[in-house]
Amino acid sequence: MKRRIFLRTAGVAGILAAGRAPAFAQGTRLNILRWVDFIPACDVELKRQAPEASKALGAEVVFEFINANDLQPRITAAIQSRSGPDIIHMLHNWPHLYENGLVEVNDLAEWQAKDQGGFYAQSEAYVRVGGRFMALPHSIVPGLIAYRKSWLTEVGATTFPKTYGQTLGHTFGDAPAWAYPLLWNFGGMETDKNGKTALDGKGALEAVKFMTAFWKDACDEGGLAWDDTNNNRAFLGGEISATLNGASIYIAAKRGQDKIKDEKGEPMVRDIQHARLPAGPAGSWSYHTAFSHGVMKYGKNPKLAKDFLKWFHGKEQFSRWFEVAEGFSVGATKQWERHPLWTTIDEPMKGFRTAPDNSRVIGYAGPPSAKATEVYSKYVIVDMFAKGAQGTKAEDAVKWAAGELYKIYG
Amino acid sequence: MKKTIAGGAGSAAGFEVALPHPRTSQPAPALTRFLENEGLLAAVLLAPTVLLLSLFIAYPFVMGVWLSLSSTSVGNPGEFVGLRNFVKAWNDSIFRTAFGNTFFYTFWATVFKLVLGMWLALLLNRHFRGKRLVRASMLLPFIVPTVLSTFAWRWMFDPTFSVLNWLLYQGGLITTKLPFLSDGTYGLWCAIVVNTWRGMPFFAITLLAGLQTISPDLHEAASLDGANGWHRFWHVTWPLLKPVTLVVVVFSVIQTFSDFQLIYVLTGGGPANATHLLATYAYQIGVATGLLGEGAAISLFMLPVLFVVVWVQLRYLRRLEGA
Amino acid sequence: MVIEKRWKTWVFFYIPLAVFVVGTLFPFYWMLITAIRPDAELYRSWRAATNTPFWTLQPTLEHFRDLMAKTTFPRWLWNTFFIAVASTLISLFCGLLAGYALARLRFPMAGTLGTSIFVTYLVPPTLLFIPLADIIRNFQLGNTPWALILTYPTFLIPFCTWLLMGYFKTIPKELEECARIDGATRFGAMTRIIFPIAVPGILSAGIFAFTLSWNEFIYALVFLSSPERKTVPVGVVSELIRGDIYFWGQLMAGALLGSIPVALVYSFFVEYYVTGLTGSVKG
Repeated sequence: MKRRIFLRTAGVAGILAAGRAPAFAQGTRLNILRWVDFIPACDVELKRQAPEASKALGAEVVFEFINANDLQPRITAAIQSRSGPDIIHMLHNWPHLYENGLVEVNDLAEWQAKDQGGFYAQSEAYVRVGGRFMALPHSIVPGLIAYRKSWLTEVGATTFPKTYGQTLGHTFGDAPAWAYPLLWNFGGMETDKNGKTALDGKGALEAVKFMTAFWKDACDEGGLAWDDTNNNRAFLGGEISATLNGASIYIAAKRGQDKIKDEKGEPMVRDIQHARLPAGPAGSWSYHTAFSHGVMKYGKNPKLAKDFLKWFHGKEQFSRWFEVAEGFSVGATKQWERHPLWTTIDEPMKGFRTAPDNSRVIGYAGPPSAKATEVYSKYVIVDMFAKGAQGTKAEDAVKWAAGELYKIYG
Repeated sequence: MKKTIAGGAGSAAGFEVALPHPRTSQPAPALTRFLENEGLLAAVLLAPTVLLLSLFIAYPFVMGVWLSLSSTSVGNPGEFVGLRNFVKAWNDSIFRTAFGNTFFYTFWATVFKLVLGMWLALLLNRHFRGKRLVRASMLLPFIVPTVLSTFAWRWMFDPTFSVLNWLLYQGGLITTKLPFLSDGTYGLWCAIVVNTWRGMPFFAITLLAGLQTISPDLHEAASLDGANGWHRFWHVTWPLLKPVTLVVVVFSVIQTFSDFQLIYVLTGGGPANATHLLATYAYQIGVATGLLGEGAAISLFMLPVLFVVVWVQLRYLRRLEGA
Repeated sequence: MVIEKRWKTWVFFYIPLAVFVVGTLFPFYWMLITAIRPDAELYRSWRAATNTPFWTLQPTLEHFRDLMAKTTFPRWLWNTFFIAVASTLISLFCGLLAGYALARLRFPMAGTLGTSIFVTYLVPPTLLFIPLADIIRNFQLGNTPWALILTYPTFLIPFCTWLLMGYFKTIPKELEECARIDGATRFGAMTRIIFPIAVPGILSAGIFAFTLSWNEFIYALVFLSSPERKTVPVGVVSELIRGDIYFWGQLMAGALLGSIPVALVYSFFVEYYVTGLTGSVKG
């Protein structure tokens, strides 16, 4: 308790200015649960920051990293049993899902938005539940189409190569990032503005028809079973020439230049470029994975957790982490578009700088509510396209999906 | 059921202290006389089991049933909704697929495990060179953590890099890749293969242990009577193995019916929700969607079904023993 | 022994056995090849002329080294081992006593109790972990090995009990009765006559229990949080699967290293069945 009073009077800045760690209360720990980053160096950086944070906050800061797929069971058990990490990494619209287990962080969100040039629409929509910020936006991992320049020129720059690889399996990343924007680009939407099912329009039908033709024409049929890793390996193994992914393909190719070669024996990284999803009749939209940090309600030290987030999301700390991510993760706020990193970064990575500016949220045009999650985690939208690709008539695929949506949204 | 457990624990709690010693030290006469009473001895022997199970299962189980009857979602206590969750699940097309898949998967995986496991046990029961090594290596699939071995399998079934496809292709058996995990039917069969691969060694080794208890004299007598291999198996071995076999089958059915890890890692229920089992679908609804009530209802669908299956098997087992 | 013709031995014995061996071990060979394959080959196109899926010309131990150096793998191995052994011993102890009582003793409601123990095994574990997390917190066991050592028996005991019951039932009652006539107490007859005969059953139940604990994933994932306290399956999955890039070499190295020590222990037990048995069954 002493520590709290101390913090209130002196503040984090005071401690930093003093440059000396306060003796912190024995056993005060702050546990932070995050995913295992796609870029291993990012986790190394966080481990490096932990002692600094401990020093700054006067409490032992401990990071735990687990596979992204395993975050949800941990969160569920933690909220239900009211014990667990103090801060948990949230993906997508999870703050809507776990609203009742989270502490409101309006003050922090206001500060961060003001401090760093305002949130991207997606980041804000995902953490903001009915006007209250239930988590603090941290970063966005944009997904762009990674493609091989040489293969594209072979076929002619206007068409997609015959060797497109698309994940349509049950994954948390790449499959939805493809399926949702495709729906939007053709003018389809899950719900109307009031959150009522609106999938059975022309847009969805056109999108499925497009997908079916595209799948037959150009895609690796294995994609139906792909998870988030398959396309990376298929790409790096030279089996496909284009796929929707985060920057991890490029970064892996760059880090393993001596191992990952193209057909001519040159490092493959020199042949990789990124592009946005092609626009459809209703525009060009994308769906990126947004990340935030939630302060857990059961935690014994919400104040300390918030102080940590203020430190952790502050310009100084974030920029170090951001630099290590090399463009794989971008900020949740617009200020990071102006970071010097973007001037020195490799040409193919530059597309990631402003990638989040055209992203929408699941549940569109309604709010990204818990119901949108149900649709998302039942893979209704992904499976609508998967059914089409497997040969179900487009009308039937849409009808099936709309039926599922009616059950969920009403 | 609950009452029994509570009663058992209560009446036995006092005697627990006597348990660690009796093997080594000579029991005092009073204690000896006490343990001569069948009912009391039974209470003592059952106490640790009943205590542990009622501590760690009773509450979660009651809680699970309550969840299934409520509209609970993560962080929301919810309220009593009767059987609504069950009705919703039953009207859900994905649930029905998962329900059917679960039966299909359990049936075939169990049949394969039993037949192949029995066969392997009979083979391993003979004397041959390298027996020791072979017996030990047969257990390997059973030992590697399922999650990890399933990753290895997933890679062998990889849509782009499948070594099995490569093998079949080089062998001239196929001209296009087989869609191992990218087609629902193939995917389910792949899961059955992996489950069989993993579970068969245990069948084999347990049945082998059973075979070892059968005196070789019986076989010699039978073969002197002119019985051939099949007859010896059917008339001598099988009747003696039946009790052990049934127990192994019962447990395997339960395990397979509620299998989770394997599908979770191999296909995640995809493509297009075609390979979900009840357990994976319950998990998807309960954990990924946060609808704990509905998830609990889906997983409780397993209970009555399992109960019936097991009851039939146990009835059979009892009749067997009675005969 | 029964003498068979040579071709019959081949058709009915060696060939099927060989098929079993190859089928069972191929995935392991595959793991091994992956674990010693250099990264450059792992990322090479499979259409490349130099592709050799079944062997590698430049085997490397780099994945094993990385696994040891960059993760706390040995620690996970030890944790898993400790937890599995402890929960197996607890379960065997409970199962042995309970199994004997249910198989041999007559007491009121024996059937009901037997069924109840069995029914606990039917409770689907997928969602059990959520309410169970509550209990773990109440007992303050979170993030300790005891969280697992005490919860694993919930699915191990029913199996041990029932398997051992089966074994006890196959042992002739006369054996015990003889001992009793010779003046042994009920308890003495149980521990000195029946238990030794049931050794194969006990081993078999033990192997099963041990493997289930060794394998368990969801409880270990939810109840443990410190990296140095994790078990092999959870540790390998959470540290070696980085979102969309698997560290295949290390993953497979982890799978192999995680199973070989157990395999060695088992190979000893498997033989113990064979040698230790013949004598005890004769009576």
